[in-house]
Amino acid sequence: MKKLTALTFAAILFAPAAWAGGAADSVTAVDPYVRAVPPGQPATGAFMVLQNSDAKAHVLVKADNAASKVTELHGHVNEGGVMKMRPVKQIDLPAKGEAKLQPGGLHVMLIDLKQPLKAGDTVALTLTFEDGSTKEVSAPVRHPAGMMMSH
Amino acid sequence: MTKRILILAVFLALLAATLWVWRASGLPPLGKPAAAAGGDFTLQSADGPVSLKDLRGKVVLLYFGYTYCPDVCPTSLALIAQALKQMTPAEQARVQVVFVSVDPERDTPQKLKEYIAFFRPGGIGLTGTPEQVAQAAKQYGAVYRKQAVSSAAGYVVDHSSYTYILGPDGTLRGKLLHAATPAEMVREIRTALKS
Repeated sequence: MKKLTALTFAAILFAPAAWAGGAADSVTAVDPYVRAVPPGQPATGAFMVLQNSDAKAHVLVKADNAASKVTELHGHVNEGGVMKMRPVKQIDLPAKGEAKLQPGGLHVMLIDLKQPLKAGDTVALTLTFEDGSTKEVSAPVRHPAGMMMSH
Repeated sequence: MTKRILILAVFLALLAATLWVWRASGLPPLGKPAAAAGGDFTLQSADGPVSLKDLRGKVVLLYFGYTYCPDVCPTSLALIAQALKQMTPAEQARVQVVFVSVDPERDTPQKLKEYIAFFRPGGIGLTGTPEQVAQAAKQYGAVYRKQAVSSAAGYVVDHSSYTYILGPDGTLRGKLLHAATPAEMVREIRTALKS
């Protein structure tokens, strides 16, 4: 009986380690940043390159952040010159591959900002993957005109 | 060295793909404005009415967007700002950025003034009645449509994302794609400035 209890305790103790590991361990967020916006603007985007070092594909299913009330994943479709931004349910991270979250493409959208974000601020983002594991990303806020955009 | 060649190859491939899609979609290439396109219009700024003909003598960079635009507009305006920063002060003094809102229900003249100033000090933000905005957009072939989305952002406005270039004489010289690089923009603006 004691052995079972001990095992149960061990399982409970190690469970959080399993949560923090998993997909999150294989994913690196490279050059994350949040775009500063004019005061009064309700939303902005967070961008980064998500690299998956695993031989197995993973999926970003959710994002949260401290600076806005709502966080969503969004992408763009360019239909004959008309840019259509739409929420997406997930962002796929191919095995040994990457997903580029950049202006005009996929991004994490911060909706209903609690206060204006200025260049120099930092936003704490939490990325959640398909197995429930999470990763904390610290994203500096950058002024758009100061950024080099690559397409 | 290999990396640079690779980047150049990717850029060229993207440019070719963009041009291909552009032609395939029936839109005129840069340098050949659509027939009967352009012309004057008058809309409201926070400092009073502004007509495009008031801006003659300068090259006008005209963009149709909206302030609630979460990504496309900030991206395009940032690229315009970067392009202009690469030009001399004398050249910059002869270029006027004009941002027309395709979301007149939400964008007020004051909001537009603050919005455009964030990207380009001296930029002019314009709006009007939905009919006036629709007319101005039609003149330039800009399209837009309000779209409800299942997002806390409320509605978005899908819109074409071109930067129209007007010469100092007020005529439409062409338009830059959403994906135009600052270097391309500088070239096209300089061409317009020469005339």
